[in-house]
Amino acid sequence: MFKLLLDFNMKEKMFLQKSLKKKLVSVSLICLLLMGILFFNSSSLFAQTPLSVIVNSESAPADMSFAELKTILKGEQQRWKDDSKIMVALMKSSSAIGSDIVKKIYGMTADGFNKYWLSLVFQGKATAPVFFESENDLKMYVEKTKGAIGVITPTIAVNDKSILIDGKKIF
Amino acid sequence: MEFKKISIFHFLFFTGQLLFAQQTMIKGFADVNALYVDSNSNTSFNLGEFDLFITSEMSDKISFLGESVFKYDAVPNSKFSIGVERIIIKLNYFRNHNFLIGKHHTPVNYWNDSYHHGRVFFPTVLRPQLFNSAIIPLHTTGISFQGINLTALKFGYDLMVGNGIGATDISDNDKSKSVILAVHAKPFDGMRIGISYYYDDIASGVKKAGGSTITASNVIQSLYSGSIAYFKTNVEFLSELTYANNKVVYQNAHTTLGYYVYAGYRYKKVVLYGRFDQNNYEDGEPYFGGSDVSIITGGLRYEMNYLAVVKAEYQNVENKGITSGFINVQIAVGF
Repeated sequence: MFKLLLDFNMKEKMFLQKSLKKKLVSVSLICLLLMGILFFNSSSLFAQTPLSVIVNSESAPADMSFAELKTILKGEQQRWKDDSKIMVALMKSSSAIGSDIVKKIYGMTADGFNKYWLSLVFQGKATAPVFFESENDLKMYVEKTKGAIGVITPTIAVNDKSILIDGKKIF
Repeated sequence: MEFKKISIFHFLFFTGQLLFAQQTMIKGFADVNALYVDSNSNTSFNLGEFDLFITSEMSDKISFLGESVFKYDAVPNSKFSIGVERIIIKLNYFRNHNFLIGKHHTPVNYWNDSYHHGRVFFPTVLRPQLFNSAIIPLHTTGISFQGINLTALKFGYDLMVGNGIGATDISDNDKSKSVILAVHAKPFDGMRIGISYYYDDIASGVKKAGGSTITASNVIQSLYSGSIAYFKTNVEFLSELTYANNKVVYQNAHTTLGYYVYAGYRYKKVVLYGRFDQNNYEDGEPYFGGSDVSIITGGLRYEMNYLAVVKAEYQNVENKGITSGFINVQIAVGF
């Protein structure tokens, strides 16, 4: 009788262990899947291209937060502190650097970004950014246009025109 | 002769400078549709609106926005008419605060203030019933003060005074003016919540909304509206509600409730969506003259890119106890 009970307990233990193993495997697989999704999303949302911001305005802060930069580049803040107009200069979203800027700063796809701006302009709520195919042209535009702000790669940016984003020249 | 040459030189030089300084952009939108009506089993192709949109910056403080629509009209020989939908001169007076004058889309609710005539932006083929049934006065000619993206909540406001219902684009039919106050906030990325109030004293003799009869007495109209919109990543949600109160002097007020709820789910470039519209009119309503209607819409939107969108949707309309079905297919482009 005792042997039978022991046998039964052993079988129950083995069954429990097996089901625990199955559960662990399932949970691990789900975790891996979730991590994969997170990794895929984060890698697609945050491109790793180093960027710098150049400005042609005496009233622009020498250091601004990434959130402030986003507000300006999304056309939400349209004036500098001296009330002069902010002119946004960006690379075309069809270019590699433009596409990276759209992902890194706007968190959008190229189509979503273009639709966002077209919609804002159509509503009469903002002036469209000036788009460029060449970073040198963009840099020249910012240098010549009062109130302009542009995003380019650090190799093109000129140190005395670039500002800090969250305390960094390159972000 | 020398003087003439110098004058021409100066004229060309200065106009050239002005033209160089002025930034003008011309954009357009168009749509072509196919409609199947199940009551007569008929399919017809139709042209939608051909919308020309111009923006121009005269200086860093003054800008212009114009929108004209060419569309089918049975009356003229050409069978087309041109409508000036918006002419707005905007003067920026401080930071994100503007003064606007001209013909506006009345800033009541979200749809009327956001999508205007560009079908490429519409999440569905057709406007919600709230806007098709003339509960919302779509246009107002007048002046407005506007603020956008203020404080961390991205608060915005519109205070508008206009000619009101019954007026034309060139004159007002009565002394009273319509007043609109709208406020909204964008508490986080992709979300916009707004409320608005519209007041008008509609003069007697004005053609009723959606009908051919005229008002026998003045109608005091108050519209209370609210909207919530969320368009971000894969999820789209938009709902608007308007509670209208129309009152003829010495009579009881009559209420109308119009609302719709839209929801969509995006997978890459395809959005699966649904919308429910409902308008309820109180018996004896003195101005709208509508009858209760409810519409269920289900559809699919394929965004080829941001300038070309194809939509296909099925609508089930229930009005006065009669149910009818429609299939709408639309291709809308921007150029």
